[in-house]
Amino acid sequence: MEIERRILKATWEHNGNLEPLYEVEDKGDEILVTFDLPRVRKENITIQTTEDTVEVTAKMSNAVCWEHWGVLQKKITFQAFRKHIKLPEPIEPERAEASFKSGILRITLPKVRKKVSIKVG
Amino acid sequence: MEEEVRIVEVDGVEHKQPIVIEGLPDVGLVGTIASSYIVEKMGYKEIGYIESDLFVPVMVIHEGKLKTPFRLYSDDDGSVIVVLSEVAVPPKAVYPLTTALAEWFHKIGAKLVISIKGLPVKNRMDIEKPEVFAVGNTEDAIQVLKDKQMDFLEEGFIAGTYAMMLWECTKRKLNAISLLAQCFPVYPDPGAAASAIESVKKFSPKLTVDVGELLENAEEIKLKARDLMAQTALSASEMQKGLEQDMPIMYR
Repeated sequence: MEIERRILKATWEHNGNLEPLYEVEDKGDEILVTFDLPRVRKENITIQTTEDTVEVTAKMSNAVCWEHWGVLQKKITFQAFRKHIKLPEPIEPERAEASFKSGILRITLPKVRKKVSIKVG
Repeated sequence: MEEEVRIVEVDGVEHKQPIVIEGLPDVGLVGTIASSYIVEKMGYKEIGYIESDLFVPVMVIHEGKLKTPFRLYSDDDGSVIVVLSEVAVPPKAVYPLTTALAEWFHKIGAKLVISIKGLPVKNRMDIEKPEVFAVGNTEDAIQVLKDKQMDFLEEGFIAGTYAMMLWECTKRKLNAISLLAQCFPVYPDPGAAASAIESVKKFSPKLTVDVGELLENAEEIKLKARDLMAQTALSASEMQKGLEQDMPIMYR
């Protein structure tokens, strides 16, 4: 099975949101998206999907505060993870499932099943 | 011709047949997290750096001081050396870097080279305490692993810096082993690093590191390591790390 992995560089924002590490895998009939969400509890995760996007917001149980962040060594606090992903193929949002264990969020997104009749010539 | 990779030591460093711990970035950042934790907890001093035109043009500032991201550390009596990096190894630098390091390890009379790495597993989230597997490059190295009752990788491809490190050490008749802790493929894994450190301690009684703090601070370490993990994952895909999931064609 061909596995497509899309890994984008993690970033951070001044509004207190961190971009989580994530991975998108093409599993044939479904797309598997995982997120690494340290300091997060299951009840504080919000997932929203459309036919071609998935958006995850996850509030940390304790905000993380670094006194010396970045080259200028400024104090910065992060309270949540947030990530919006454009999916490589259309999916059926109603059939999506999610689980959370050991800080890893797994979202299984079944692809749209297109049935096409082929006429035998 | 000028060397593609240059290893530069500060003056006056003496080596006493050191054990070398190599923790360059790889899957799960297991080696990087483990080796930097060892350096911090053991209070090792910086003894040099590695520079190359093949590396990304990046320097690091720590406490206002300019440093190269590829650095060398040692204990006070020169019997343990740690090689670590704060940036990913570019694929084109793997051969010259491992060649230069193996050459230097040979020159300083290293007794054993230990690469700490991750072994990506799909079900990592179901594993409480990651297991550690080993590869040795010579009969002597394999015997050392047997003496320490390590589990072996028996069959398959290995890819990346540690694979070439084993080979370059073999060519110089240097004993080298790789310790691979089960880990998340593309997420930083302090738990795997803790398991790896426990294994490294079997080979160097001088390492009296307690991994409790590493496990306690695992979530914060994961947060800090996000960017290096993302860089490393991109670099790893170019190094054919995916081959490690494949089976070789040779029959036995």
